[in-house]
Amino acid sequence: MNIRWDRLLIPSFIVSFVLLTASQVIFLRGSLFEDLGMGRLSQVMSLDNYVLLFTDEFYLRSLWLTVKVSALATLFTLMLGFPVAYVIARMRSRWAMVMLAGVVVSSFVTIVIKVYGLMVIFSADGWINRFLQGAGLTDSPYTIIGTQSGVVVGLMQFTMGFSVLLLYSVVRTIPMSLEEAATVHGANRLRVFRRVIVPLSLPGVIVGALMMFNMCMGAFTSASLLGGGRVLTLPVLIQRSVILETKYGMGATLAAVLLVSVVLINLISIYALRRFKTARLVIA
Amino acid sequence: MSALGEPTSSTIARAVPRARLSLPRLGTLAKIAWVSFAYLFLLAPMIVVMGSSLDGTEVYSKVMFPPERLSLQWYERIPDAHYRALALSLGLAAAVSLGACLLGIPAALGVVRGRFPGKSLLLAFFRAPMQIPAVVTGVAFLKLYYLVGDVTGLFLNATFAGLYLGHLFVAVPYVIGTVVSVLQRFNSRLEEAALSMGAGPWRTFRRVTLPTIMPGVHAGALYAFMVSFADVPISMFLTAPGFVTYPVELFFGIETDFNPSVLASASLVIVFSLLLLLAVQRVIGLDNVVRSK
Repeated sequence: MNIRWDRLLIPSFIVSFVLLTASQVIFLRGSLFEDLGMGRLSQVMSLDNYVLLFTDEFYLRSLWLTVKVSALATLFTLMLGFPVAYVIARMRSRWAMVMLAGVVVSSFVTIVIKVYGLMVIFSADGWINRFLQGAGLTDSPYTIIGTQSGVVVGLMQFTMGFSVLLLYSVVRTIPMSLEEAATVHGANRLRVFRRVIVPLSLPGVIVGALMMFNMCMGAFTSASLLGGGRVLTLPVLIQRSVILETKYGMGATLAAVLLVSVVLINLISIYALRRFKTARLVIA
Repeated sequence: MSALGEPTSSTIARAVPRARLSLPRLGTLAKIAWVSFAYLFLLAPMIVVMGSSLDGTEVYSKVMFPPERLSLQWYERIPDAHYRALALSLGLAAAVSLGACLLGIPAALGVVRGRFPGKSLLLAFFRAPMQIPAVVTGVAFLKLYYLVGDVTGLFLNATFAGLYLGHLFVAVPYVIGTVVSVLQRFNSRLEEAALSMGAGPWRTFRRVTLPTIMPGVHAGALYAFMVSFADVPISMFLTAPGFVTYPVELFFGIETDFNPSVLASASLVIVFSLLLLLAVQRVIGLDNVVRSK
């Protein structure tokens, strides 16, 4: 007797297909209509929105800024997150559980709450500024509001918990015995890291990094709250044009450009890294 | 998962003198320092929120960490809107998690067990929602609901159903991902054995397949819950004043006026998340959940 497994696919496929195509096609089509103000759209299809977007330096700079802060946040998150993931994955004590719980709680709590925390930490009479001024390092209080570094820190807060969980699962796929074998044959820690850990985890790390990058490209919470209206990434502009200015046409055009950039960056990276055939990360 | 890896590694570890495996002390210290810093970075904002929510000052802008005078005054002043938003977020996340399992588990089984070409393409299709920037998903669903409303008169924006579909869209790939990864490690001969011993397909599924994929299901359900419960960019477009999820309520709270009662309700959410994880740990084991990824 055989189970027809493939039939199980059908309902999920239909739902996913309808949601994916309906939402994407309609908004991409919507990007072709010019805004007439007050939320009304022109009846004629044209590429005017796109022409405006690609001739206005403001929008192009915003796109570049979005890619830049997302890439920086991804890079720093990896640097901070990988050692944590590695240590937890290799721990044999019960503390591994506690450390893991800390990471999971962090990904459970919405970024808005963490942004509140950052605001208190970096407030004018908060810890950091009292320390900096006490040590005579700055005269005026240092603020992260309205700076790009503030936005990068916010994005890192957003992806960090998630990335540690991902990287943890990557490290778990590398058998400890390989590292031990290398050590037994005389490799020092640095060499083990360079010749065993890096090559074996690289495919998974890259797929994970792309996921974090995608998350950053689509996030406006950190940029909107910590950017203070001065760090205008594409998601912030999209939210503003749709919610505040009711420019649905331009909002959709910006969203289309963001979508295409993300897909292109993903495709190029995956294509460039095709030789790492072993890449098998579960969730991306 | 590492059922094969671990016994071998510990056998080797026993055979090799421990001293050769231990790291130089300086390296260990550097590692501890780096990991501590990472944890400080990860947890400090939440600790600060919880600490400063206990501050007793009367002036909004003077709330600070560590609190100067302990008081629960901000907890008493949590507006009803926060509780309403929280109730919506919790109900939504639970429903999304359930729905994502109902759609994701059969899809994963079909992809891994079915016999047909183009499986990797199909998987890429199922994972597509994860690649779409969240803010784009929000705008896209808003536009979709406007169009559906114009055509049928059924307006889905700022309804539970509308919000639910948007969240489900991004949550399903997580369940598919975690269940697929468990299934790929699991030997289908167990199922064949059950079938050949006379168990029907449904019985085989319930007694053999389901228990095996359960860790993946738990992980996927947890991710789906997390994604829905913490989301701002999608919900932002699909909610309206009076019908908002908790993160969106907080978002507008910051933007309009800062009221420390927000810190108090945020602390409640952090504590709730901890309790939920504790429950997960008790019932399923956090370890199983995260490892099955």
